[in-house]
Amino acid sequence: MPWNEVVCTVLLALGCVITFSGSYGVLRFPDFYARLHAAGKTDSLAQVLILLGLVFVTPDVLTQIKLLMVAFILLIVAPTATFAITKAAHLDGLRPWTRGGRQ
Amino acid sequence: MNAVVLIDTLLLLLVTVTAVAIIEVRSLYASAILTGIYSLLMALVWVNMHSMDVSFTEAAVGGGISTILLIGTLVHVGRDEKPIKKRLHVPALVFTALTGAALIYGTLDMPRFGDPAAPIHHYRVPEMMAQTVGFVNGTPGKQKPPEGFDVERYRRFDGRITGPIPDDPKDTAWRENSALRLEGLMVPQVHAAHEPHAEPGHHLHPPDDFNGHVPNSVTSLLAAYRGYDTMFETTVIFTAGVSLILLLRRPRREGYLQSGAVMSDQVILRVVSKLSIPFILIFGFYVITHGELGPGGGFQGGVVLATAFILYALIFGRAALYRVVPPPVSDILTGVGVLIYSGTGAVCMLLGGKFLDYSMLNRELPGDGESLGMTLVEYGVGITVSMVMLTIFNQLAEERST
Repeated sequence: MPWNEVVCTVLLALGCVITFSGSYGVLRFPDFYARLHAAGKTDSLAQVLILLGLVFVTPDVLTQIKLLMVAFILLIVAPTATFAITKAAHLDGLRPWTRGGRQ
Repeated sequence: MNAVVLIDTLLLLLVTVTAVAIIEVRSLYASAILTGIYSLLMALVWVNMHSMDVSFTEAAVGGGISTILLIGTLVHVGRDEKPIKKRLHVPALVFTALTGAALIYGTLDMPRFGDPAAPIHHYRVPEMMAQTVGFVNGTPGKQKPPEGFDVERYRRFDGRITGPIPDDPKDTAWRENSALRLEGLMVPQVHAAHEPHAEPGHHLHPPDDFNGHVPNSVTSLLAAYRGYDTMFETTVIFTAGVSLILLLRRPRREGYLQSGAVMSDQVILRVVSKLSIPFILIFGFYVITHGELGPGGGFQGGVVLATAFILYALIFGRAALYRVVPPPVSDILTGVGVLIYSGTGAVCMLLGGKFLDYSMLNRELPGDGESLGMTLVEYGVGITVSMVMLTIFNQLAEERST
């Protein structure tokens, strides 16, 4: 197996693991903010890993640059979207969950 | 079962689940978000079918702007569905069942999925691709037709296939003896030069002969072959925008721009939106301009452009948006787009061709004329679509604040 495919496989596997744990967190975490934290990891970290992995097996330089640009833009925009949603929920008066129900 | 079928099955299963959830869920916000999810899943299905243009449209229109507009509507109508008594409405059930049965009956006549003997692969499209992508026009400076290829006969070919077409789609041997081969309509050299796709009848053009022509057959179909359809689709969108202005626009009251939360005090949102809006605009123009070369076109690009303006309005308030695009300007541009489209057609007529016969725009290089005409038309579509989307958003937001 050529080295670039090895790198690609490792990055894709990492991305898949993070996506899985993110989905699991969305289902299992106790409140809105914690769930959004899990979902945000999928959006930002996992997609960067997957797109980076694909860069290594793409033969075409132009496509590689496009993939990198997509990864970069998502890396900036996805956390901002998560932030906006969290901020909106906070302004709307949603209190975070605490153990024992204390504020 | 191969991987494509497996992924398709999973995706369509998810689509069905989402559709049921849209009907069942009480909260309209959840319903609107689920509609967006539905569209994104459908976009994946289209990607799986290799129809990138449709997928792009579904993602941009269905997943993107429709969700924004639906949520904008929810601000007016409230976030929860009214509780209704669940009762079986027999006429509605019968009507739905009949409509569904009619639709399924209609699909029985369709060719099987991926059938190489389907009419789309033989009627018009190969000819059109060869026209727009190649030597068939005999364009100066372009590649010469290969030896033994009868250009005149190829252009006269009306797509009829002589002899029976076998039922098995994998059986392609029939084409060897069909009219395509017998009348010299296929290009033997191309097959040899382009071995991986050397299926007879499929590559009527050399793989690298894309210069100055319109290689995207979807755009060729939409903007040239079905140019009238697309023009009237644009007119429908224009009409929607105009009727919305007529129905919803009220005389301006004092302070109509002040209300509504403005998020520009959020530093992160302000900085990131300012960073990303130029790129969204560039991408929108790229999609419109690049429409005849790759997936995308006026509709998708126009929607992308509109989202840039809507993002600006969401972060900085509509007063700021109205300084950038005052409502009179967006109203006029809505009409200008349709005018560009029909005007391009009229210019083709004045130059001596038929309506929307783009090759008239450049007599020396008809292929370049086609390309130019389609770009103009795509810009017309893009301007109208983006401005109508902007108007819809403005009207929804304005209604809220008065």
